[in-house]
Amino acid sequence: MTEYKTLSGAPLHPEAEALTTRLARGEIDRRGFLRAMAWLGVAVGSASAFGGKAFAEETPKDGGTLRFACQIQEITDPMMTNWIEASNLFRNSLEFLTYVDENNITHPYLAKSWTPSADLTVWDFELDERAKWSNGDAFQPEDVIFNIERWIAPDSQSSNKTAFGAISRVEKTGDHSVRITLSRPMASLPEQLYSYTCPIVHRGFKGNWPAEPVGTGPFALVSHEVGRQSVFQKRPDYWGTHARLDEIQYIDLGPDVTTHLAALSSGQVDVIYRATIAEYDLMKSLPNIQILSAKGANTIVLRMQVDQKPFDDIRVRQAVVLAANNQQMLDVAYRGRGDLGANYHVSPTQADYFSLPATPRDVEKAKALLAEAGHADGVDIELTLGNTQGKWEQDTAQVLQQNLAEAGIRLKLNVLPASQYWPIWNKVPFGLTFWAHRPLGTMTLDLAYRSGGSWNESRFASPEFDAALDKAMAVVDPEARKIAMQEVERILQDNAVMVQPFWPERLSAAAEKVRGFVLHPSDYFRMDSVWIA
Amino acid sequence: MKLIVPYLTKPLVLTGGALAFGWLLVAVLAPLIAPYDPLQTLQPLAKPMAHGAKGEFFLLGTDMLGRDIFSRLVWGARTVVIYATLATLTAYAFGLLFGLIAGYAGGRTDAVLSFLANVVLSFPVLVLYIVIIVVIGASPVNIVIAVTFSSAPAIFRIVRGITIDVASRDFVKAAITQGESTLRILFVDILPNTTGPLAVDFCLRLGYTAITIGTLGFLGLGLPPPTPDWGGMVNEGRAMAIAFPHLVIFPCIAISSLTLGLSLLADGLREVNDAKERQA
Amino acid sequence: MYLGMFLLRKLAIALATMLVVSFLIFLALEVNVEDVAVKVLGQYSTVEQRAAWLAQNGYNDPFALRYIRWLGHFVAGDWGMSTFFRAPVVEIVMPRLAASAILAGGALLVIVVFGLGLGVLAGMRPGSLLDRVISVFSVVTTSIPDFASAVFLSGIFVFWLGLLPGASTMISGLSLAELILPVSVLGLYSMGYLARVTRASMVDVMNTHYIRTARLKGAGMGRIVLRHALRNALITPVTVIMLQLPWLLSGVIVVEVFYAYKGFGTLLYDAALNQDIYLIEACAMISVLVVVLSQILSDLIYGWLNPRIALVGAKA
Repeated sequence: MTEYKTLSGAPLHPEAEALTTRLARGEIDRRGFLRAMAWLGVAVGSASAFGGKAFAEETPKDGGTLRFACQIQEITDPMMTNWIEASNLFRNSLEFLTYVDENNITHPYLAKSWTPSADLTVWDFELDERAKWSNGDAFQPEDVIFNIERWIAPDSQSSNKTAFGAISRVEKTGDHSVRITLSRPMASLPEQLYSYTCPIVHRGFKGNWPAEPVGTGPFALVSHEVGRQSVFQKRPDYWGTHARLDEIQYIDLGPDVTTHLAALSSGQVDVIYRATIAEYDLMKSLPNIQILSAKGANTIVLRMQVDQKPFDDIRVRQAVVLAANNQQMLDVAYRGRGDLGANYHVSPTQADYFSLPATPRDVEKAKALLAEAGHADGVDIELTLGNTQGKWEQDTAQVLQQNLAEAGIRLKLNVLPASQYWPIWNKVPFGLTFWAHRPLGTMTLDLAYRSGGSWNESRFASPEFDAALDKAMAVVDPEARKIAMQEVERILQDNAVMVQPFWPERLSAAAEKVRGFVLHPSDYFRMDSVWIA
Repeated sequence: MKLIVPYLTKPLVLTGGALAFGWLLVAVLAPLIAPYDPLQTLQPLAKPMAHGAKGEFFLLGTDMLGRDIFSRLVWGARTVVIYATLATLTAYAFGLLFGLIAGYAGGRTDAVLSFLANVVLSFPVLVLYIVIIVVIGASPVNIVIAVTFSSAPAIFRIVRGITIDVASRDFVKAAITQGESTLRILFVDILPNTTGPLAVDFCLRLGYTAITIGTLGFLGLGLPPPTPDWGGMVNEGRAMAIAFPHLVIFPCIAISSLTLGLSLLADGLREVNDAKERQA
Repeated sequence: MYLGMFLLRKLAIALATMLVVSFLIFLALEVNVEDVAVKVLGQYSTVEQRAAWLAQNGYNDPFALRYIRWLGHFVAGDWGMSTFFRAPVVEIVMPRLAASAILAGGALLVIVVFGLGLGVLAGMRPGSLLDRVISVFSVVTTSIPDFASAVFLSGIFVFWLGLLPGASTMISGLSLAELILPVSVLGLYSMGYLARVTRASMVDVMNTHYIRTARLKGAGMGRIVLRHALRNALITPVTVIMLQLPWLLSGVIVVEVFYAYKGFGTLLYDAALNQDIYLIEACAMISVLVVVLSQILSDLIYGWLNPRIALVGAKA
């Protein structure tokens, strides 16, 4: 049996011993075991443990320019980012304390090791002493403290404020070490630190990054023009393993994926950010491209604000959920390419998923509930959506429109352009919002449904739910965590906060010559190991 | 009868008329012609001439959401024909009224009205629509308003020109000396003389308006979903057009055949008008 | 001298038009200050935020004063900040305008060459087979909306044959290959109309007395057309070309959006989708300005081709 060592050389955490024993007994699976071990600061090696990609035998080549089709949005303050596209631009020049790979395993990054206390409330991070800022400054504990304090400051508008609400103190404990103290145990802290709002900026950061693009990362920002293009160049003085590519050009090709594929097929770009189900047949017909696909915990949530009329009456929400036909939405709007959702926003791909069955569709019961709630003649509601991931969002809504009509619910669709949806996503009474993948169900639920959370778009507030979530978040053992999640999922499902119809398969495409580009489940694309054959 | 016969002998008029009136008929009779509810999900992505699992027959196939394309085209005809016609007619009401006034009154009234018409005409049509839609939003009524606003000045110019011409003729002068009311002169003596050129313009304008409504739908600025709308159908189907060409070919044929019919009709009418003028 | 007077008069009218247009645009977009605040600060900004912003930016002044101030700024080249692009509007608009000029110029070239060419060919021998083929072609192409031909041309040349680039961003400089599809789409839609006008004009000229005389004298067809007919036959079509510009501008929006061409059309489209009010104002003003200038140009060309008209115009 493999001997496990911590990254820091400290003795193994007591939980790590327990996990090893349980793995040996076959009570937990290897993947869940490895990710939990990584949280505890144990060195788990690279992801290739799960079988490497094709092309593994090729020798990577240096040089070349990669052209990446994606929307070029405004980038200012990394912690305020709410588009993953924008975060991927930061990712070239700014780094994180930890790195979570495509298998959800956490690895060292700016922090070379971390050691949690036995009760998981005190975390010691050892920073990589080689790390350097592009302006020549050394990377120091002060940088980390500066960032975390900004995130959780009382006037912080960042979603990090909720995600790291448990942090009570952050302090320097040595030339290269930082201690984070939590008010409640949080097993997955290292994993959370790779959230897309967590790039570490320089301690002198003034709020608008492109104005002073200082970073520790492998690329430097050359130019950034909203709606047009963004260019990064390889930094010869980078502190770590150098990137392969000389230059990356992000090109804005407008909102239409067909145009992106046209550009890919005619060799004008090398990678596209995302394709949707509508383009699937088109992609299959194109020679010279590789189709990338993966399953993850990304989904759309049609959530109702529980404090807005008519959704403040739980019977109306229940009626909506009961009348919705999740299977039909998946089959028609996404052509069956995905997994069915059961309206509690935890995915079978997430390690802490407890398989709570869906409530069966019941139109008659929905009608009865509506009548009870005083809407015997049906009810008029409006769903706002922005097709932020493609037209399938609208297709899903149109299927729902038909489903609800059967129960006498007249659904009006208010379709906005994507860029118009994000400014109001958490403000509309009934909205269709895309939620990105997160390695753990608790990470999503903590952001989206905890009482008063900054990204709590449904305004769901339940002390019972918060307590159950706290309990689940403190558990390291994967199996025990699942059990704790049952209660969390049940509360959410019972309260009929949302219709969460399905988990769509993620699709993208790249030119054949592109190597090392991995469809990270969160769409967090690190470009330093990408190369061109 | 004598008035209509020369039109009916022209093949251009016949072909164009058949296409245009065919679509008009389809629009009016949509509920009778369409086999299915245009919004109902039946079976996704059936090919043309395919039979559904429940014995349905999809003449032109179904779209991604499983809605019958033939039914959507038929109901879409209603959207285009009704809104384009309604919009063009409203534009005519305004264009005629102000054109007659300007042409007949002349002087300062004419100068001011003509100047204003020129002002509106100097907006590129789509730019004008976009500004109007940004200000008041996209809805059927607002599209009618936008079309009216942008078309009326052009109609105004035609009517004004003819009115000036006709007003100088002897029979109008005679009517004035006989003390006929201005209203009567405008609508009984002058208006009928404008019908020839206006009929031609009407057909062309209707075609342009249909295309513009389609374009707005294509750009996602048109009628909100799920209203069947030809331009919107092309837009929705184009990502899948390589694998499922029927998604875009049929709506394109629909919009092109309507416009083609209208321009053929306009050409034919013009030829007949010209011939009449030569005879006179 | 006449020309000077003529130009002066036209410019005065153009100026007056622009003045009214600017007022209309300002009226439409900024008469409701609450709306302006919503568009700039977002739909869910708080009432206090909006009130503060309005006060800070002089929106509590009377409408007339605001208009005059806005016009003053506009003339001085201060077009405000784009809420979507976060940059001064004037800096965004100018390069985009240049890009669209290239696209529209290319399209105009295609339209002129093919439209005039086909029209002259058809009008030389009215009723001939060539005439009929060209007439059918021009009627059919004008009936196909540009978005439809864009879908089909891309399907054929990009996805099926793989011959042409599918996006026309021009990110890495001017690329002729990237211009082919957008220019073809624009040309295809507009050349038919010009061809029909040219044909009609040509038929009229060919029927005139002096051409018939020339033909009776036994002069060759090519010689007749080049020597005698063309100059007279082209007066109307050339005027029409300039008047087509507003239509071309509309087409440019569709084509640019379709091919992700970073020009004026996509800019206006993005501005509309994002309720970018100051950018819309500037784009609308500029489109009108382009049209008004093209009308003056059209009058000038007309006068140059047909000197008698210019005299009349100047006297009036």
